[in-house]
Amino acid sequence: MDSRALKRLVPTDAVTLGMVRAGVCGFIVCEVLLTSFSDLSRLPVTLLRPTGAMQVLPWRFYDLLLTPAGMSTLKWLMVLSLLAATIGCFTTLTTKSSALLFLFYEGLLRSLSHFNHDEMPAVYILFVLALSPCGDAFSFDSWRSKTSPRRSGIIYGYPILLMRVLLAWSYFSSALIKMRVAGLGYFSPDNLPSLAIAHSLDNLHDTQFRYAFWLPYVHEYMPAFAALVLLWELSFPLAIFFRRARLIILTLGIFFHLGTLFFMNIFFPYHLAMYLVFVDWGRLRARIEAVVSRHRGLGSRIY
Amino acid sequence: MEPAKDTQPEDHYDLDERHWRARYTALTITLFLPLLLAFTMIRNVYPFAASTMMLGIRDVQSGRDYHVLRGETAGGETIDLPPIELTNALTGRNWGLVRAAVQNQSFNIRSPHPENLQLTADYGGLEKLPKAARLQELLRAWGGIYNSRLSDSSNQRLKSVRLDAYRWEGGINGEFDRFVESWTAVL
Repeated sequence: MDSRALKRLVPTDAVTLGMVRAGVCGFIVCEVLLTSFSDLSRLPVTLLRPTGAMQVLPWRFYDLLLTPAGMSTLKWLMVLSLLAATIGCFTTLTTKSSALLFLFYEGLLRSLSHFNHDEMPAVYILFVLALSPCGDAFSFDSWRSKTSPRRSGIIYGYPILLMRVLLAWSYFSSALIKMRVAGLGYFSPDNLPSLAIAHSLDNLHDTQFRYAFWLPYVHEYMPAFAALVLLWELSFPLAIFFRRARLIILTLGIFFHLGTLFFMNIFFPYHLAMYLVFVDWGRLRARIEAVVSRHRGLGSRIY
Repeated sequence: MEPAKDTQPEDHYDLDERHWRARYTALTITLFLPLLLAFTMIRNVYPFAASTMMLGIRDVQSGRDYHVLRGETAGGETIDLPPIELTNALTGRNWGLVRAAVQNQSFNIRSPHPENLQLTADYGGLEKLPKAARLQELLRAWGGIYNSRLSDSSNQRLKSVRLDAYRWEGGINGEFDRFVESWTAVL
């Protein structure tokens, strides 16, 4: 891809890539810190169904892992690695270890339950960061070595483009699969209310909102609503190419995920958090610095 | 013989960029080829997701079972026991874990855990295995987690954990709470 064409699509500076690294790893480390691994270790290993790549590991390994000591080790390895990646310390190594550890942890969770795709874009984004020079700026490494980053362009811009494409793919493919599996039945007036009610009956979901039971009263509007949601998912790739479309699509995304939370008790926090790859952090930082320096100038004139 | 030329900064940049271009090409192919395959086959193969959540219910008139986790305290009170408060690592997944445990899914994999193989053999085969063969262990684990947060003398400690199954008869105006069956684990 031509460097100039890329510059029109995404920020191509080292600072933005470094800030994306800090944001992504920072979000994941907070999630890990708030999670009780010791409670998870009390679940019986006999309920595990290793999924996909997780099948390569022997049962003896899982027997040792699903113990208080095993899960505690995993948690603190993840915290250390992700914290170091967040601040950009030994970035080349810690972004790679973070990607591998998070990949393994998410596989473990899916081996206990079903394949939910919420965290998957975060897994892929971690791998993109691990294989890019995301520690060249906005990192402890760059501060310590005092070296200047490489020339802006594809080296820093392409990983940002790839992360945006990966997130857009999650929504776009989700819409296409709905069409392939459910066909026009997806637009039937009872489809969305039934789906919402099915996720609102038990107490096993993370929240127990009961707004789904309102939907049958407005089910005649559901086909139009389902069509709008599908259209929004299909148009998500436009957020990669057009700045104005990005603002609208990402705002609608926030409403969509809040909607699924209140009406279906399903929430995709990782998808929402990964919207940060669409923010031009370098430009935002420059604006904040300009505002701060203006205020400082104003302050010195007053005093 | 010509003297060796010094490496110019521009040459170094070009070499560096070529190296990164090759790396990014490999990364893009490694990520997108399996993603496209997962999408084509509509099959999740970890770590490649086919984004199959929220597809809808194929037959909205057909019934389906759902479960409610409850506990009985030492004081004799029955309380709701949302699993997210017990295993928060399984955010968005506790219902999948229960469904898998009720359906004995951990026995129906290519290479089950040795203890599951033993249990299957003890019953004389997979078809003779009772429903929810490992559910008691899960309920006991959840009860243990709940009790570990309370003092030994608390009357809020659980003496049993129960999973109640109900049936939604189907249809958005159908009956939602027909009791089906229950499993109890005494702690």
